Amino acid sequence: MSDELRNRLQSIDPMAPGVPTESVTSESSRRLLEETMAIEVGAQASDAARTGRGRWYLAVAAALALVFGGFAVFSGGGKPTGQPLELALGSSNAMASCIQFSVEILKDMPVAFEATAVDVSDGKVTLDVDHWFSGGDAESVTLNATVGSPALIGSVDFVEGEQYLITATNGTVNACGFSGPATPELRSAFEEAFPAS
Amino acid sequence: MVSADVARRERFEAVVGETYDPLQRYLRRRASPPDAEDALAEILLTMWRRLDEMPRDNPLPWCYGVGRLTLANQRRGAGRRAKLMNRLAMERPMSEPEPASDQELEAALADLSEDDQELLRLWAWEQLEPREIAVALSVTPNAVSLRLGRARKRLESELRRKNHPRAGQEEAYGRKEPQ
Repeated sequence: MSDELRNRLQSIDPMAPGVPTESVTSESSRRLLEETMAIEVGAQASDAARTGRGRWYLAVAAALALVFGGFAVFSGGGKPTGQPLELALGSSNAMASCIQFSVEILKDMPVAFEATAVDVSDGKVTLDVDHWFSGGDAESVTLNATVGSPALIGSVDFVEGEQYLITATNGTVNACGFSGPATPELRSAFEEAFPAS
Repeated sequence: MVSADVARRERFEAVVGETYDPLQRYLRRRASPPDAEDALAEILLTMWRRLDEMPRDNPLPWCYGVGRLTLANQRRGAGRRAKLMNRLAMERPMSEPEPASDQELEAALADLSEDDQELLRLWAWEQLEPREIAVALSVTPNAVSLRLGRARKRLESELRRKNHPRAGQEEAYGRKEPQ
């Protein structure tokens, strides 16, 4: 490693070691830490799991098969690019039956985001991403239905201006309760499953 | 139960004691002071909630990883919901701690891709080694080593080009020539 370059880069560090930061023992820091530790860990999570499970099991029984060029962004292990994603809605045979909704399964979804439908037209839904829980950082995601599958969009019932929580695995968006309108219950489940986001 | 709570608090306090200063620096290098403050509170909350998942040995790169996601979501939220507010905040004079003295290097760094810049910042500013950068970016250490090597070469090449536009080009073409 070229230490010379590293040293030179350090010389333009705006927060070099000499620049002061807030002490962890200051009054405001202590207040922040106490407020943080006052939050009960786990209570919200189990509530979410209880309310979310049954409802989403019954919610939607379709799966949207996705093939999208930007999937390498998620699966390649690289740093997300922030480029808009274009997703294709394929046939519904990607998931023959629904797995019962659980936060444990939700946790393993490599792609999970909350987004607002900004344009819903024949066979196409454009979503502005509000929050990435996992797997990317695109600002915008477009779902394009392939021929013969516009009904799939209807199964998730995309409405302009409404928010949705969406997951995908192996290029397949899971509509079996793991994607759908952003209800408080589903959002709680996502927050529990992806607490770091 | 009470003793478990006490132990949890103690561990959190210990981790925060170790990471509070570097996390503030990490955030202030990448965000305005108010955004950095908000992000710090969010990161602490995530650290508190996910304390059991946090690596016991060297938790800082893991915390930087939480910071990366927090900042990305913060920028997205600002862009989506408060574009005007964000613009106004950007227009406000930022209290940059130190003006950069090496403007040539700063310009060369700014010409690199955001991915390259972030790798170099984590390497030089956060002083992370490739295996730690891998934790912060959720990629493999091998990928980090390769990308970091390339990023350094690109930065050096940018610097040469800025110093001697023609010489840099000749050098680039003639790099494999024997001395």
